[in-house]
Amino acid sequence: MVANPTNDKIRVGVFVCDCGLNIAGAVDCAAVAEYAETLPDVMCVVRNKYTCADPGQNEIKNAIHQHQLTRVVVASCTPRQHEPTFRQCVREAGLNPYLLEMANLREHCSWVHPGEWDGATAKAKDLVASAVARARLLQPQEELTVPVTKRALVIGGGVAGIEAAIELGDAGHQVVLVEKQPSIGGIMAQLDKTFPTMDCSI
Amino acid sequence: MKIRKKARYVDPDLCNACEECVKVCPVVKPDEYQMGLSSRKAIYIPFPQAVPCSYILNMDDCLGNNPIACGKCAEVCDKQAINYDDEDEIITREIGSIIVAIGLDVYDPTEMDEYGYTRFENVITSMEFERLICAGGPTAGHFVRPSDQQRPKRIGFIQCVGSRNPKIGRPYCSNICCMNTIKDTLLLADHYPDMENVVFYQDIRSFGKSFEDMFQRSREAGTRYIRGLPGDVREDPNTRNLTVTVENTTKGKLEHHELDMLVLSVGVVPPKDLAKISGMLTLSKTSDGFFMESHPKLKPVDAPTRGVYFAGFCESPKDIKDSVCQAGAASSRSGALLNAGQIQIEAITSRIDETACKKCGLCAAVCPYGAIVWKKGEAAVVIEAACAGCGACGATCLFGAITMRHFTDDQLMAQVRATLGENPQDKVFCFACNWCSYAGGDMAGISRMKYPTTNRVVRTMCSARVSEEMVLEAFRCGAPIVLVSGCHYADCHYINANRQTVKRVQNLWNKLEKAGVRPERLQLEWISAAEGQKFAKVMYQLEEMRQAVTMEEIEHARQALKPKPKKAAKKKAEAAVAS
Amino acid sequence: MAATKETFRCMLCGHEYQESVEKGEDKERSCPKCRSNSIRHLKKKSSTKE
Repeated sequence: MVANPTNDKIRVGVFVCDCGLNIAGAVDCAAVAEYAETLPDVMCVVRNKYTCADPGQNEIKNAIHQHQLTRVVVASCTPRQHEPTFRQCVREAGLNPYLLEMANLREHCSWVHPGEWDGATAKAKDLVASAVARARLLQPQEELTVPVTKRALVIGGGVAGIEAAIELGDAGHQVVLVEKQPSIGGIMAQLDKTFPTMDCSI
Repeated sequence: MKIRKKARYVDPDLCNACEECVKVCPVVKPDEYQMGLSSRKAIYIPFPQAVPCSYILNMDDCLGNNPIACGKCAEVCDKQAINYDDEDEIITREIGSIIVAIGLDVYDPTEMDEYGYTRFENVITSMEFERLICAGGPTAGHFVRPSDQQRPKRIGFIQCVGSRNPKIGRPYCSNICCMNTIKDTLLLADHYPDMENVVFYQDIRSFGKSFEDMFQRSREAGTRYIRGLPGDVREDPNTRNLTVTVENTTKGKLEHHELDMLVLSVGVVPPKDLAKISGMLTLSKTSDGFFMESHPKLKPVDAPTRGVYFAGFCESPKDIKDSVCQAGAASSRSGALLNAGQIQIEAITSRIDETACKKCGLCAAVCPYGAIVWKKGEAAVVIEAACAGCGACGATCLFGAITMRHFTDDQLMAQVRATLGENPQDKVFCFACNWCSYAGGDMAGISRMKYPTTNRVVRTMCSARVSEEMVLEAFRCGAPIVLVSGCHYADCHYINANRQTVKRVQNLWNKLEKAGVRPERLQLEWISAAEGQKFAKVMYQLEEMRQAVTMEEIEHARQALKPKPKKAAKKKAEAAVAS
Repeated sequence: MAATKETFRCMLCGHEYQESVEKGEDKERSCPKCRSNSIRHLKKKSSTKE
């Protein structure tokens, strides 16, 4: 499943993202990249203007092939935003998606330390060192696929719940709508006219 | 998913809403639908357009199912739709996706005594106004004031009652009240052109499509808008008229307005069932008490729990149009999942090495999901489909028999060491859980809240994943301060796994103290995904603490917390094998 | 079970206070003075201070 024949060799690629000036405006990305080269098992370091954009992702894919990378560290934004993006990217290059690690240089560093060039850069280096240390020990993982029951539950029979239930029903799904009151309608049913069109609520 | 279908005592399939039962029912109760402004019987239909269009018998109000006591309604029901022995029914359904649309509660202004709600009859809420002006209301749409059933000539509206008021713990804007009042003034101007309407406000927020136009029409129709919220309302005991004292902040003058009636434009509050639903589905809420979405911009209808989506008010205050929009979005997201028919579970689950397992059962005891099966004398086994990957078991196992896939001990220890490799004395070392604290750090970032550059964060899925060894290792590496941070009790993404965090930190404080290490150097904080501000504040506090930690203290901790030789030897052996 | 008075110490600001604790309760703690969650449960000391 992993295209790389030298899988048991740890070969880390580090991709340092400028995020335009989002990161590069507060962190010395060149120094971070330079530092990353000194870390164990790091085979290549690439700086990108926007790693998440197509050119950035292509650079990751190319580097995986060119340098026979078995681990990828993307030093950019929070994994809560782009981890799925980069997992998909390394998967497309034949690497198990769990061999990717991210260092959060944006939300946890550049955005909260503007004007603190030295401190922010030192922190960014540590974040990358931590990510590389972790990446070296990552193992490929297989995800469990579980079936999803084709039925939706809508909790609450006010205007939002009714609307959601109708839409799902129209799309051909089974829907269970639960409402604690004897009738659906919610608060809206108690209103007279509604803004801005002055039509009746029910 | 189990659903309790409540007994209606009236079969909705048989009931033809003929109203014969209502005529004979002797019980009179306040009508909830009409905000208690009129009455209903014990058997009633909530409102004429109700769905299902059927009567319902409220057993709390009913005189009883003993025909000697009453039983009149059953006697007159031709369809024999009434069944006093009807019982709640538990329905079990498998569910693939959930849309949470539990709406809102309306703010009760009784606590704001200065406005005299419930003390003065002619002070009503905007919800009561809705019923009074409605043709289907208790007065059939004839707008009268409660004290004398006369049509008022001068009506005042007070805005932001229960909104934008930090003093009563309601700092947020309720979104709908400005436009609702503007609508009310237009209705009054339309029905009663001679009526004088005055609105007391702090800001009028008419930002939506065609809202500003409506505001201008209200002004053109003669409604006076006075900038300033009243400080006091008094009633004339004879006329029952009200005198409102307000500082007109545009003119900078104190004014008194005599009015026949006062409408409190009440705000909205999170529904009281929110905590219950939140606990069932492991959701979290923002500081205003409404549900927290997965991402404020990119996943605005997704709950942090996969397969759960939000629609309507329960996520944040919004009007009907926005509720409908969000409901459409939620149903589309939900439908996409149902169409896919399957879901991938992140490969972060727990694995137990049977041979290393000492059969103690500690792991099974801390699993919030009951996903670990253990019988005395047998090795514990993980049910993978039930495991959510919090790692409480992994941090609890004393024998290294548990591997958390993708968050292994080795990986996390390596992060601790790499982070504290150089100049550890300058760093505040933090463990943060993925769902709340780490996200709280992200929120601080998104909101550009500055804090000291000295903190270093390592992410785990749950704070319960952080083992004693990891914390001790950080001190051994020379960390002056270590923080363990997770979700608030109510928000824990893994039901209640973070209670294990508390136990562990308590133990660690004792251990540190015993070793002569100031226990204060280990800190614990609950930071929600919405609390970017708290995240930043904590980082300032910890930096201040860090500066007070001496090099001698750091060195002492390094030495005092060295692992016992036996363990160290074993560790060394393992490390040698690994490399 | 009856509630017992127990002593807690805030590990951030040092504030020490007593609070009644019910057996088996599940409560998030924060310092009444500085709101920190670093609340250490000081066992055994409670009876002497009561």
